Amino acid sequence: MWADTVLIVFISVCTALLGEGLTWLMVYRTEKYQKLKAEVEKQSKKLEKRKEAHGDSLDKQHKKKIEREEERLKNNNRDLSLVKMKSMFAIGFAFTALLSMFNSIFDGRVVARLPFVPISWIQGLSHRNLPGDDYTECSFIFLYILCTMSIRQNIQKMLGFAPSRTASKQSGSIFGPPPQQFK
Amino acid sequence: MSRQKVEKNGSAGKCELSVWCRAITANSEWPDKEEFLDVIYWARQAIGIVVGIVWGLIPLKGFVALLLFVLVNAGTTYVYFSNFQQVDEEEYGGAWELTKEGFMTSFAGFLVTWIIIYSGLHFD
Repeated sequence: MWADTVLIVFISVCTALLGEGLTWLMVYRTEKYQKLKAEVEKQSKKLEKRKEAHGDSLDKQHKKKIEREEERLKNNNRDLSLVKMKSMFAIGFAFTALLSMFNSIFDGRVVARLPFVPISWIQGLSHRNLPGDDYTECSFIFLYILCTMSIRQNIQKMLGFAPSRTASKQSGSIFGPPPQQFK
Repeated sequence: MSRQKVEKNGSAGKCELSVWCRAITANSEWPDKEEFLDVIYWARQAIGIVVGIVWGLIPLKGFVALLLFVLVNAGTTYVYFSNFQQVDEEEYGGAWELTKEGFMTSFAGFLVTWIIIYSGLHFD
């Protein structure tokens, strides 16, 4: 069982490195991406500084200027995600195939013992395709997801591929509006 | 990365310039917010792994252990930035922003090390 656990950690390190490598090959090293990224970063910093300098007491002219810059930043961000999207799709497909392969290899095998009983809506994941009712038994997919969550993000950060905080804070994400920070 | 850049650009011996040195010195100056957030982020990851190893060795089990991890993790970070470094939380968008910086990644790292050590030591 322990060999399986370590193997899964190794697999997720490899897939994270492979994913980042492929993304570097297809996206990060392209001139278009680098130009857009630098632009977005510059604009975000500028916008942040401007917001900081004027605070809440904005007159109309400044407000308009800021809005115009926000609009430009938004457009650049959209372009940036478009550049990323194509390769992300390709990598996504490749990884889904890989995942289903590993899934069938580790099918029905207990790869680790959890030191806690997961809450009911996670049990479906942590006990996937495992026989019996012992919910401290851990399936491949649960451990793999946990490993990926920690390893992938740390590798991204170490290699400097993670999006900068300023940019993501100023532009927000597709899941919600930007939080009002650094005021 | 900004951390490496600073270390390369500045002379390594000078404490004012090295991030490592400033991170372990109380009340350091942090002109670059990103740098301080990076320190918090990596400290969190280290805490996650260390706590994971300790909980696995003891072994601590159940939701008490999870809760204890959250408390240790958030508590240490809070004490670090508010008492040790005494930064102005508002500059970073409030204490909450600093407390949650890198939390999920650290939590995942903690779970992985905890599960590995626990399964390896107590079930094989």
